[in-house]
Amino acid sequence: MNWKILVAGIAICTPLVWVLATGFGHDPHAIPTVTLGSKASDFDLVDLSGQRVHLADLRGRPVVINFWATWCRPCVAEHAELQAAARTYQGRAVFLGILYGDDPALAREYLARVGSVYPTLVDPAQHTVVDYGVAGVPETFFLDGQGVIVHKVSGAVGAAELTAVLAELVR
Amino acid sequence: MIPTLGRALLHLGLGAAAAGMIAGIFAGARRSEEAASWARTLTLASAGAFALATLLIEVALVRHDFSVAYVAEIGSASTPPLIAAVSLWSSLDGSMLFWAFILAVYAGIFALRSRGTEPARTGWALAVQLAVLLFFGLLVAGVSAPFDRVFPAPTDGPGPNPLLQNHALMAIHPPTLYLGYVGLAVPFAMAVAALATGRLDAAWTRSLRSWSLWVWAFLTLGILLGGWWSYEVLGWGGYWAWDPVENASLLPWLTFTAFLHSLIVAERRGRLAATSLVLVIISFLLTILGTFMTRSGVFNSVHSFTQSPIGPIFLGFLTLTLVGCVVLLAARVDALRIEIGPRPGSATLLSRDSAFLLTVLVLLAFAATVLLGTVYPLVNQAITGGQVSVGGPYYETMTIPLCAGLLGLMVLGPALPWRAATAAVTLRQLAPPLGVGLLVALWAWVEGLDRPWVLLTLALAAAILVVSGRELWQLVRARLAKGDPAWQAPFLGLAAAPRRTGAHIAHLGVVICAVAISFSSSFKHETELTLTPGASTVWQGYTLGFLRADKLVEPHRTSTRAHFAVFAGARDLGVLVPALNLYSRDARSIGTPAVLHRLAEDLYLSVVQVDAREVTVRAYLQPGVSWLWLGGLVAVLGSLVAALPPRRGAGRKEVSA
Repeated sequence: MNWKILVAGIAICTPLVWVLATGFGHDPHAIPTVTLGSKASDFDLVDLSGQRVHLADLRGRPVVINFWATWCRPCVAEHAELQAAARTYQGRAVFLGILYGDDPALAREYLARVGSVYPTLVDPAQHTVVDYGVAGVPETFFLDGQGVIVHKVSGAVGAAELTAVLAELVR
Repeated sequence: MIPTLGRALLHLGLGAAAAGMIAGIFAGARRSEEAASWARTLTLASAGAFALATLLIEVALVRHDFSVAYVAEIGSASTPPLIAAVSLWSSLDGSMLFWAFILAVYAGIFALRSRGTEPARTGWALAVQLAVLLFFGLLVAGVSAPFDRVFPAPTDGPGPNPLLQNHALMAIHPPTLYLGYVGLAVPFAMAVAALATGRLDAAWTRSLRSWSLWVWAFLTLGILLGGWWSYEVLGWGGYWAWDPVENASLLPWLTFTAFLHSLIVAERRGRLAATSLVLVIISFLLTILGTFMTRSGVFNSVHSFTQSPIGPIFLGFLTLTLVGCVVLLAARVDALRIEIGPRPGSATLLSRDSAFLLTVLVLLAFAATVLLGTVYPLVNQAITGGQVSVGGPYYETMTIPLCAGLLGLMVLGPALPWRAATAAVTLRQLAPPLGVGLLVALWAWVEGLDRPWVLLTLALAAAILVVSGRELWQLVRARLAKGDPAWQAPFLGLAAAPRRTGAHIAHLGVVICAVAISFSSSFKHETELTLTPGASTVWQGYTLGFLRADKLVEPHRTSTRAHFAVFAGARDLGVLVPALNLYSRDARSIGTPAVLHRLAEDLYLSVVQVDAREVTVRAYLQPGVSWLWLGGLVAVLGSLVAALPPRRGAGRKEVSA
């Protein structure tokens, strides 16, 4: 028995197997959400048509905040689902878009073409992006009536998930 | 009917594999010819059963038989037959069956070719292959179970992953890569058999080398086609992203390439024989690690399948194989009788021996670098709980100097003699290639090329061409000296020494790839263009005119296509049609880029957004990409040439490269 090989082999393999084993139970695609379960950061912004929107004024109703951009393919793909949900829950929940790293002129032109039933806010300094810990677009945050972030979707949101979360929130 | 028959075939294949493994072990331990013969027969039976099971699931996929679990999972009535057929490897369960099938076929071919060889070694080699087959077979029959019956059978299914329906390369990239990846089990089994019997002789080494060259060719081709697929399908304008699963295929390629070089030293100089066996074993272990990476869902990758119970089972198998290999090496390596090559002699620092050893070490350092980058996110998560990703900058900073070192060794190795080189010989051998290399770099610099790494690559590439050309010319000249006619001499000369010829052809391929990679990564241009129908723009010397957008509706997808007329100056280069595809199963649009392949550079268009009123595309201009594919094919060709037996009657005993 060559003990040198045995010891060296085990010394190399043990940490490798250990590291691989620790990988189980973690979803490598998950992006940690520091804000989930906490009070949503307040903002006071102007939408594409110049109207002011202050989050604190919306207290009492659930709010859906969708970070998006015209250059983002999944954002374009989820647009119709969000519009449909906003129509369905009109009066019971508030929908807001926040433009992420995009030119407001492009967004205005795009929305004029495809239509939108809710405002998209412009955040020139992108403070909300930092406050909400947005890693990329689209990301959609669901706030309850008290302004607490109760759910977050990274990537395009589907109709089923929208309906399920909103049904729970407006109950 | 198909679920029942499929499971019966799997069980038959497993039973034959288990019995064959026992017969193989018996043949190995007792040197029994009869047991070896049984092992061969049972291997063939097992291969037949797995082949039939695979055929059966293909029938179910093409006929959209949704009572079969795998078809219900990834089939769809709207999927065209060809895509249905190749969706065998588009999801976890099917791909595991495909793994087992290829392994079974390899084992079957090995059994057929091993008739008349020594029973002990054949027995061990078959037993090892069948043990690996048993593991994959049990996974297919138990955990992943593609043949489970679905009752009541659904009337339709979701269809395969859109990304995998998007290009014809999906039909050939995975099978080719599997042929290389899974094929590594054969050299591995042969290395284990040599250790188990305590003997490595010339015949076994010859056979090992021939198998290895074929496997290396498939692995290389598979990696190349993977890069090509990524380039043609994913629409990001690149061919290599250092994704964990790309790395998983590169890792065994690096160590296996190191093995092919150390084997030459073993045969020519009687050294590094045990190292060669260790390198084969490491290569195989890396394929199991790579399969774990794809199948466990532990790594964040474009390829990864979702987390499943297969992950822990695979880790168990990997651990068992690791422990088994370490114990086998520790127990047997000192007892190994090496009967190849001359009695090991000494060599000086300045010799071909040292250059080969250095090549092996640099390739291993390369593999260690890639492995570290790949598992680092896991290490970090295990220790700090945080998430990091290791990207291009790490790999590029670390591997570019290693690549330059490898190119340098491709000049040095063939130029130096074995054993020892005097200063005079070294100077005489190296002066012409280095001189030519310097001139080429100087010329490129005068022409305005100022990136140091690209200049170095060009200089080394030119030097390698001189060295390899000189080596091949020697073979031809030997025939001319014998009086062969000039038109026959090249063929006769090269055919007499296929290994040396093949090695230098492979080097030529690598050189072409290296130059292509350095150009395409250093001189890439990209931009985003928005055009309305009828409008055109000039970019990097190309005139792009947006003709129109239209929709193409197919049963399984709807494509929105943008038609571009492309001109270079006044020359009409045709129409490029990048598209966005929407599949019935998925809400996301999947882009299909359009590429204008030209010898010098590729014009690559990928749609960002398109409708009747305007289109936004990302345009990339990349020099040298066509040369990358060409160089890869040349390397593969070199490997296959090297696997040819020397031509009989060519008049000269082959001197290996």
